[in-house]
Amino acid sequence: MLVMARRVILPMRRSLFVAVATLVVATVAVAILQDGLGVPNPSAVYLVAVVATALVSGPVGAIAVSVASFLLYNWFFVEPRYTFTVAQPAEVLAILLLLFVGVVVGQLTALQRARTELARTREREARALFRLSRALATRETTAAALAEIATIIRDQAGMRRVWVSLGADEATERVATDTNAGEARPQPGTIATLRRMPGEAPAEWVRIHRPGVRPPSRARRSATTNRAAVSATYRVRIEASGASLGSIWALRDRNAPDPDRTETRLLAAAADQVGQALGHDRLVAERQAAEIARQSDAVKSALLQSVSHDLRTPLATIRAAAGSLRPGSGLSSDEQRESAEAIDREVEYLNRLVTNLLDLSRIDAGALIAERDVFELDDLVSRTMQRLRPRLADRPVEVAVTDRAVIVDPILLDQALTNIVENALKYAPAPAPLRIATTDLDGRIRLTVEDGGKGVPAESLGRLFEKFYRVPEKRPQSRAGTGIGLAVVRGLMEAMDGTATARQSELGGLAIDLELPATEVPAEIQSPSAGATRPTA
Amino acid sequence: MTESRSGRQKSRPAPTVLIVEDDAETRAAVVRELAARGYAIVEAHDGRTALERWAARRPDVVLLDLGLPDLDGLQIVGQIRREASTPIVILSGRYEEREKVAALDRGADDYVTKPFGVDELDARLRVALRHGAGPRAEADGGLATGPLRLDPVRHEVTIDGRRVDLTPREFEILRVLLANAGRLVTKGRLLRAVWGEAYQDEASYVYVHVSQLRRKLAAADSEGHLRDLIVTEPGIGYRVRGEPRP
Repeated sequence: MLVMARRVILPMRRSLFVAVATLVVATVAVAILQDGLGVPNPSAVYLVAVVATALVSGPVGAIAVSVASFLLYNWFFVEPRYTFTVAQPAEVLAILLLLFVGVVVGQLTALQRARTELARTREREARALFRLSRALATRETTAAALAEIATIIRDQAGMRRVWVSLGADEATERVATDTNAGEARPQPGTIATLRRMPGEAPAEWVRIHRPGVRPPSRARRSATTNRAAVSATYRVRIEASGASLGSIWALRDRNAPDPDRTETRLLAAAADQVGQALGHDRLVAERQAAEIARQSDAVKSALLQSVSHDLRTPLATIRAAAGSLRPGSGLSSDEQRESAEAIDREVEYLNRLVTNLLDLSRIDAGALIAERDVFELDDLVSRTMQRLRPRLADRPVEVAVTDRAVIVDPILLDQALTNIVENALKYAPAPAPLRIATTDLDGRIRLTVEDGGKGVPAESLGRLFEKFYRVPEKRPQSRAGTGIGLAVVRGLMEAMDGTATARQSELGGLAIDLELPATEVPAEIQSPSAGATRPTA
Repeated sequence: MTESRSGRQKSRPAPTVLIVEDDAETRAAVVRELAARGYAIVEAHDGRTALERWAARRPDVVLLDLGLPDLDGLQIVGQIRREASTPIVILSGRYEEREKVAALDRGADDYVTKPFGVDELDARLRVALRHGAGPRAEADGGLATGPLRLDPVRHEVTIDGRRVDLTPREFEILRVLLANAGRLVTKGRLLRAVWGEAYQDEASYVYVHVSQLRRKLAAADSEGHLRDLIVTEPGIGYRVRGEPRP
């Protein structure tokens, strides 16, 4: 605002002041030089006044001062004095030269001044543009940079207030940022909209009157009571590849003129850059959506592949075993019992597979809801281990679990633990040992299941919990696993505010850490006699 | 077809089971297996038929599938419980957890999760049949299993005659659990029986109370006769062993 004031109001008065002052000083100096010291024709002193005025007020002032100097010198110092007549022809030449040199010097000085001014404006404009692109470049999304952009426009384009709205048209536009957030936005009757011209032609402001909004008396009254007469509203559309994405809105003091060329250029450039950035954002979003769709297709086909394989193998066993149970198959009753047991085993396997698949889909859909309660951890773990014990009979198993209270869904924890143990059974065959232990952490308990199998390469550890991820095997196995079990483990744990991570075990194989939220049991429940001699399971 | 209570003792060798299951294949397989194991069978393929057959035949035990096409399993449990204490065993899928617990809370006796083995089903039915008569109590109202004895008059629990120090809450929990020996006691039923309706504040700590109780019993039970007396059924409650470990 200060910039504008200096440019508009001050110059006239200041130029006049400078011109008069320098002319007075020059006249006094000439009087002293010529009449006091006897210097012949010191009229060149007036050139100082010409240059000084030219610096301040440009070519018009310089010419005016040159003419004034010519007249003053002629009046005061050229014989006959106090007339504009010149007695000696030599004097005529001198004062005409004074006039000529005055005009030329004045013009040159004024030109220089204009160039400096222009350079300064250009630099300011360049700096503003640089700040604009920097604001956009250093933000992740365009939306985050808008506040800074609005501030830059307000300060550099001489605006009182700037806001940016996003949307396809005025009806759907929503304000994204506002330099004076909180103040009511005016409903102006007239809006100056920037019309872009094709090619190099400068853009121009076009006033559009909006029907339905009456600006007259009421608006003016409220404007006058509202300190400065704020009202001129400017709008620059933000566009990208022909589509309207929103607008930059600006308010300017009413008595200020329309934004000048530089300010207009800045507004247009800001709109262009925001438009480009928004267009880019949109492209990125579309690419991401396409990538997600592609991945989810890939996931679906991976699921179908792995599941159809994993379903078909046990089904083949069941069919063969069922055939052997038919009367007249000629098998001994021992062999028939074996067949029946094989069917049982495969059904159990299929049951677990289907359960995991359903859990996986519930996890993906966000439909898995944990029903949490306070349990002593050893109670739950020993229950699960009891169920799995028959299948662990062929290897050393060590279980040492704390009886501290945890907040879990017992069914989900059972499912997670079962999946981990089954994973160990599959990939760390007997006689690899299995160990289940706990570590007290601050506010949490870590339940670790580790095996003495051959382990998992370090680069696979981070991916174990990904859906359908299988550690690459040298020799493909008939039942390589579906890559579902551990993905379900992580989903189940997260549903209970827990975590699941993998690392190398000291036993040589894989260690899976489950972290569970722990809780303290109130003292009135905790009986003192039991606390001291508490055995771990 | 009028034999009900008096008839049960007589018919014990061949108890009547009402099988309510909408899937024809599953029903046929269960019917075949249970008939082979000496049960008298009544079938129903939906809820309405089930209630009709139940009213007409008064079976000794009901095997009820929760996912019926017409009636909610809970309605059937409620209907039967209004008139009789006939044992009900629930057949449920993995994703009917909540409905199953609600059915057990309303008075169903036990459950079997699909897919189930027939041996397991048979065992559950037999336990349910045994307890159709209600909890066993001694003449003075005392409860006992193996070396454990609970005397409600003197408010005392002993193992092999040695007194076990329990808090009033733990004593009450043990009393409710022993009174339901051999059955499934849901968390909700335990809460209502021990705390009454004002259980809200301590609802989360039921399992902790029971863990404490179990620990005290284990400490006093040097022979290990009472191991696994109270078994946690995750997400449901507790199962209390009916007979002492041999």
